[in-house]
Amino acid sequence: MNGTNNAGPPRESRPRRPSNAKRNVAFIFALLVIVGSVLSVDIKYERLVDLPAGIWLVVYKMYFERGPDLSYLGVSIEHMVQSIEIAWVGTIIGAVLSLPIGFVAAKNVSSGIISNVFRQVLNGIRAFPELVLAVAIFIPIAGLGPVAGALAIGIHSVGTLGKLTAEVVEGIDAGPVEAARASGGRWVQIQRWGVLPQVLPEIVAFWLYRFEINIRAAAVLGVVGAGGIGFIVQQTIVFGRFPLAGTALLVVIIATILVDTVSGWVRRRIIEGVETRRIVDAEIEQPALVDGSAA
Amino acid sequence: MIVFDHASVTYPGGVHALKDISLEIPDGEMMVIVGLSGAGKSTLIRAINGLVPLTDGDVIVDGVSVRKASGDQLRRLRSKIGMIFQTFNLVKRTSVLNNVLMGRLHTTGTARSLFGWYKPADVEIAMQALERVDIVEKAYVRAANLSGGQQQRVGIARALAQEPTIILADEPVASLDPPTSHVVMRDLQRINRDLGITTIVNLHFLDLAKVYCERIIGLRAGELVYDGTGAQADEGVFRDIYGRSLTADDLLEAPSLT
Amino acid sequence: MTVAAGAESRRPAKPRPSLAIPIGLVTFAVITWISVSREFGIDLNLGELAENITRGARILVREDTNPADRGLLNPNWVFLTETAEPMLETFAMAVLASVMGCGLALPVSFLVSRVTAPNGLVLSIGRAILSVIRAIPDILYALLFVAAVGVGPLPGILALLFFNIGVTVKLLSETVDGVDPGPIEAGRASGATGMQTTRWAVVPQILPNYVAYSLYVFELNIRASTVLGIVGAGGIGRMLYREYGFFHWSNVSVIIVELFVMVFLIELVSIWLRRRLV
Repeated sequence: MNGTNNAGPPRESRPRRPSNAKRNVAFIFALLVIVGSVLSVDIKYERLVDLPAGIWLVVYKMYFERGPDLSYLGVSIEHMVQSIEIAWVGTIIGAVLSLPIGFVAAKNVSSGIISNVFRQVLNGIRAFPELVLAVAIFIPIAGLGPVAGALAIGIHSVGTLGKLTAEVVEGIDAGPVEAARASGGRWVQIQRWGVLPQVLPEIVAFWLYRFEINIRAAAVLGVVGAGGIGFIVQQTIVFGRFPLAGTALLVVIIATILVDTVSGWVRRRIIEGVETRRIVDAEIEQPALVDGSAA
Repeated sequence: MIVFDHASVTYPGGVHALKDISLEIPDGEMMVIVGLSGAGKSTLIRAINGLVPLTDGDVIVDGVSVRKASGDQLRRLRSKIGMIFQTFNLVKRTSVLNNVLMGRLHTTGTARSLFGWYKPADVEIAMQALERVDIVEKAYVRAANLSGGQQQRVGIARALAQEPTIILADEPVASLDPPTSHVVMRDLQRINRDLGITTIVNLHFLDLAKVYCERIIGLRAGELVYDGTGAQADEGVFRDIYGRSLTADDLLEAPSLT
Repeated sequence: MTVAAGAESRRPAKPRPSLAIPIGLVTFAVITWISVSREFGIDLNLGELAENITRGARILVREDTNPADRGLLNPNWVFLTETAEPMLETFAMAVLASVMGCGLALPVSFLVSRVTAPNGLVLSIGRAILSVIRAIPDILYALLFVAAVGVGPLPGILALLFFNIGVTVKLLSETVDGVDPGPIEAGRASGATGMQTTRWAVVPQILPNYVAYSLYVFELNIRASTVLGIVGAGGIGRMLYREYGFFHWSNVSVIIVELFVMVFLIELVSIWLRRRLV
């Protein structure tokens, strides 16, 4: 191995190792935030020791002591059906309101100022969880019950669905829009025939995905009295009737997985290979992340 | 030495990719495999390092049976065999140096490798490998920012960093333009001559094969149809291998043959 | 005329419409009708709703001598000081849950991706467990953990942790499924172990997505942790629910404005970080 005369240029040509200073600063900053959080949170750390036992005790009481109380199955299913109905109606409200808003919020088919204003409105709506909307606005308006829950879910959904719709509309092929404009169409006509056909499959997939998320939200609205199975899960746990809680929880899990499966199947029928991450990628706007060509 | 002993590979779909191949490749040889796509060239190369499992017969590499090797033995065997790929197979988002250091993973402990604490000696080996293919100045650049030819040289450096006794090159120039193809083939030739590393290359282009390699073997539908020197390999031999006359597509630079 | 007739015969017959769309629409209509009906559903009545909005308007603009009892549009800013501590707790809970959740999610997603799973058994069992984890909403976790370890931020952090693992692992394992398999083959061919190959051939490919998803999950946590307090799991939610219980709308209003500002700021920072780090 006569490496010396074939080893290419001498060592001096080797580049210097680039500095990590920026990364280290970011790292230290993150560490400070984390340490600060650990110190500020009032956790009685001695309780951590009892944590596994405590969790096991709850699971044991729900499922193993006497088994889940299956006589509660009917009541649980009835409430879960109501949760699904809340999610369904909420998703429809969200879909109907978000479609026009999403178009208006898309930079390429709307004007700059208007799209910015609507984007901020959508971001604002997204800031409030369903439960906050239910407590602060819709229970006072519609009274306790599932209607308040459906409205809360619907309005919260407008935030994410509107943003997703805008993202998709901004990603369209400009050709058909130009063609529709060239043939003298009005704005609404251009959107209907030039844009909507391109984006509808993806948007419908978003609606279904949102429905899957809304099922989970609708399953907890009951804790503030906005309908659905959350109410009985909370009541049974608070009053220590764990075998009943076990049954209700089981119903939540099975129904949610069922809805996920059916909805996921329909989503894949509508768009080939639509993955959750694509939807989230669109929601959180990460350009140049997915294509791998980031410089 | 690499010995193919009646080696056969049948894929789960029932495709016979290799049929009863028997072959000896002595140490330090530079050998090229030619054949149509689908003739079993890639399978033959991957049978040597066990990336494709044999279904019959055996391949013996330096006295070790690839077919009978345990997972651990196979890893040790692979660590002595560098591999170069048609599509380079670099991690594009990370630095060139990190890519080359992948060739040192086999001597690096799990904990060290998880955190990237390579030993300085391993970094030195990686740097020398980059110097050998003349691209050390790009050590801290992201692989994605390199041209195709540069990426393939990084791929060669990664194989060299393993300090291998054998290098397998699977269509190393198929994604490159003609001038770059010559640079890469010359690199491989130099490595073979200077370091005495047994080098086995799959090539589609016959003119390149004849220029750079002493020994040529031909595969057709998984069977060995030619084994001889490049000088002997004339038009008739190629018709045997390809089942048709040569066309311009089979040559890197159409006028240079004949 | 003959020409026209000939042209007509060459026109293709209108293709039979696919059954999927009418079936889908009918299913949609039936489920919707059931859902809004009085007998089987949630009894959504638009007329009634319109009437109720006037009732809702009252809580917006209500006047009262007690500043806490005014309407939502009259925030009682004095209340701000009282909210500082639970607000900080909400933030800290979200930070800790995100760090732990995303830290755990990375190795777990390698176990449940087709590309990196050690074997088929781990893959299918892992996926089954994850779909159960994802089926339970955050508040139900909080209820269970409050029952297990008592009230406070600890059950809240645990609830967020499970919620995070569900979300992050799903997103990340799908990303891992989609990586370029070339470098993995290169790693295997060089004699590296499975774990080493994952570290150096897969992790660099998914790192930008991992950062983006972690920041996204942190945003989700901020929003989620604001409501966990409703069931006793720490944070601002408890105060929000208490003030709501007393009909102190102007105090509720202060909390809502604060939530909005915090979520907005964090989203800004997160977008900035994503642009910088990726």
